[in-house]
Amino acid sequence: MSNTMNDETSIGTLMAEQVERLLSREVTRERLIAVEQGTFDTPLWQALEEMGITLALAPESAAGAGLSWQDAEPTLRAAGSWAAPVPLGESLLATWALGSVGLEIPEGPIAVAEGVFRLDHNQHISGTDALVPWIQHCQHLVVVAEQSGQRFVCLLNRDEVSLETVETFARIPSSRVVASGATPVAIAAADNIIGELGLLPALATLRTVQIAGVLDRLLALCVEYGNTREQFGRPIGKFQAIQHLIADMAAQTAAAQVAGLYACRQIDKGNGEYGAAIAKARGGLAATRGAEAAHQIFGAMGFTDEHILHYYSRRLWQWRDEAGSEHWWAERLGRRVLAQSGDELWRGISG
Amino acid sequence: MTSPFTFKPLEIPEELTPLRLRVRDFLKDIGKDWSGWKVGHSWTGFDKEFSRAVGAEGWIGMTWPKQYGGGERSHLERFVVVEEMLAVGAPLGAHWFGDRQSGPLLLRLGTEQQRQRFLPEIVRGNATFCIGLSEPNAGSDLAAIKSRAKKVHGGWRLSGTKIWTTNAQHSDLMIGLFRTGTGDEKLKHQGLSQFLIDMKSSGIDVRPIRDLTGEAHFNEIFFDDVFVPADMLVGVEGDGWSQATSELAFERSQPDRFMSCFPVLPPLIDDIRQQGNIDRLSARKIGATLADLVILREMSLSVLGQLAEGHAPAQEAALVKDLGNSHEQQIPNLVRELADCQATIERGNRLSELQGFLTQNVPSYSLRGGTREILRGIIAKGLGLR
Repeated sequence: MSNTMNDETSIGTLMAEQVERLLSREVTRERLIAVEQGTFDTPLWQALEEMGITLALAPESAAGAGLSWQDAEPTLRAAGSWAAPVPLGESLLATWALGSVGLEIPEGPIAVAEGVFRLDHNQHISGTDALVPWIQHCQHLVVVAEQSGQRFVCLLNRDEVSLETVETFARIPSSRVVASGATPVAIAAADNIIGELGLLPALATLRTVQIAGVLDRLLALCVEYGNTREQFGRPIGKFQAIQHLIADMAAQTAAAQVAGLYACRQIDKGNGEYGAAIAKARGGLAATRGAEAAHQIFGAMGFTDEHILHYYSRRLWQWRDEAGSEHWWAERLGRRVLAQSGDELWRGISG
Repeated sequence: MTSPFTFKPLEIPEELTPLRLRVRDFLKDIGKDWSGWKVGHSWTGFDKEFSRAVGAEGWIGMTWPKQYGGGERSHLERFVVVEEMLAVGAPLGAHWFGDRQSGPLLLRLGTEQQRQRFLPEIVRGNATFCIGLSEPNAGSDLAAIKSRAKKVHGGWRLSGTKIWTTNAQHSDLMIGLFRTGTGDEKLKHQGLSQFLIDMKSSGIDVRPIRDLTGEAHFNEIFFDDVFVPADMLVGVEGDGWSQATSELAFERSQPDRFMSCFPVLPPLIDDIRQQGNIDRLSARKIGATLADLVILREMSLSVLGQLAEGHAPAQEAALVKDLGNSHEQQIPNLVRELADCQATIERGNRLSELQGFLTQNVPSYSLRGGTREILRGIIAKGLGLR
C-alpha cells in the first residue's frame, strides 16, 4: 500500500467521523418527522456543505475531495446509520458522475435517476423514472441518456421535467419523473465510466452501503435494549432466543458491510456492475433479515409510531427495493452463470 | 465508527495466478477418477497418498519457516491453494488438521525439539494429526472435560475418554486437551494442558463411530493410563484453555467453513442447462448463492489479513463460520429445488452421488468446530450483551 493510499484512507475515516459526530447530534426523531412531512432540513444540509462532505467524491478539479468510493464508504455508511434526512448519498453520486465526465457541478443538493433515458439528435432528453427520491428539494437532476449505443451523463434542471409525487416506505419526498424532450443544462459522453445500466450500479452500491449503516445502528439499539429491557425478572438479552436473534443480526450486518465495501471497490476498479450485483443481491437479504430480527426483539413497542425503530426499518425496506432488489440482481447474476458450463462458476469467482 | 466489526479488504494479487493455475492442473490430473461420493467428503476425506503428493508440491505448511520444511510463502498463497482444493472437494483430511491447526500451534508454542521433529513430517504429508477436545459429557461445554493427565516420573499418565475426533483412526498424533490441575468446579477453565500424543502409545483404544452416512469419520478414544513423555507437553502447563481457544480464529474463518458443498454446484448448473431449466427461479437462486459465496470469501480474506497482521479477530471469525455453515448447509436444498432429484442415489452419476452424500453429511457442519449455538453465544457476548 502506497503512502498516498494510506493518507486517503485516513481522510475518508476522518470525514466519516466528522459526519458521524454531526449526525448523532442533529438527527432527532422530530427532524426525521419534519422531513417526512415535506420540510427540507436546510440547516443539516448546510452543515454538511460547510464541512465539504457533499463534494467528497467529486474530483479536486471541481473543488471536490477526490475520494475513491472505497474511501468514501465509511461516510456513506455513517449517513445510512443515522438515517440522515438529506440527499447526501444521492448528491455524492451525482457529483461523482458529473465530475468524472468533466461537467461543472451546480450548487445545492442533486437528485439522481436510476433508469437510462434517451437522447435524441437535437440533444433533447426523454424518459421516465418511476422513483426519484428528494427531487422536490433539488434544483438539479443527473440522468444517463443513451443515443445509438453511446451513453451520456446529463445534468437537467428540475423545471425541465414533470414530477408526480409517489408514496414510498421511507416517506422521503419522492417523485415519478417524466422527461419529454427536456433540454439539458450540460451533457458529456461517458462510455468508459458508465455501462449499459447507467447509474443503477452506483445507486445499488449506495443503497447497499446505506443498508449496512442502518443495520449497524439497529444492532446497537437491539444490544442496548437486550441489556435494559427486563422480563421474567432479568434482561431479555439473557435469553438464548434473544441472543441468537442478535447474533444473526450481527452476521447480516457484517455481510452487508462487506458487500457495500466490495461494491465500492469494484466501482473504483471499473467493475461496478458486477460489484453492485453481488452486493445488492446479498445486502437486500441482509436488510430483510435485519429488519425482521429487530422488530421481533423490540416487540409491540417497536411497532408503534412513537418508537424510533420504524425510521430505520422503513428505510431498510425502501433501500432493498430501490436500484434493483436482491432478487432482480440475483437473477441477472444467475442468468450469466447459467449461460456457461458449470466449470466456469469457480473461474468467475476466483478470477 | 459505529460498526462493532472490522472487515478491511484483502485482495489476491494477480501475481498469484500462475500458482492458482498450477494447483488447478495438479488437481485435474490427480483427481480425474474421483467419484462424486468421494469429493463430497472434501477436507475431511482421508487419502494419505494424495496428501503426500500435495506435500511434494510444497503445499503443506506453506507459510512456515524453511528450517522446519515450510515454504515461507504468504498466507495469501496458502489461501489460493486451499480454495482451489476445496473447489474440487479434494481429500485433504490426512494433512488438513496438521496444516490448519496443529502445525501453527507448534510453531507458536511448541519447543524447538517438537518443531524439528513434527513439522517436517506434516509438511511431507506423513504425519496425520487429530484434535482431541470433546468428551462424552463435555461437548459444547468444553471446559467441563474430565480426562486427566497425572504427573509421573519423566512425564504424564493420561486417562479418560475423547469423542467426535475426526480421522483419529488414521492419525499418527493427537493434540489433546487434558486436565492437569485440581478439579475445582468454579475454575474449570484453569488447570488444562495440551499434549502431543503418539496414537500408537499403549493404552490407547480408538473406536470408530459409524455415522448416519454409513461410514466412520469420527471416533471415540479411550486413554487407559497412557504414558506421555514430559517433553510432549505443548506450551505451558495449565494454559491449555487459552492456547486451544486462541487457535479458533484460524479454525473458524477459512474457506473450509463455507465451501464444503461447493463441488455440487458445477454439476447442478450443467444439469439445469441440459434439462432446459434456465428460468427466473433457477437464475435467482443460483445468483443469490453466488453473491453469498463471493461475500463470504471476501469476509474470509479479510479475517486472514487481520490474522497475518497479528490481530485476533475472534468475533469476525465466528461470524464467518456461522454464516458460512448456513450457506453450505442450504446447498443440498438448492439442488433439490432446481434439479428434480430422484429419491435414489445413483452410483456413477456425479450430481446424484454428491447430493446423496451431502444431504446426509450437512447436519454435521454446524456442529463441528463449535456448534451454531456456541458461536451465536460468543457473537452476542462479544457485542456487549451482558
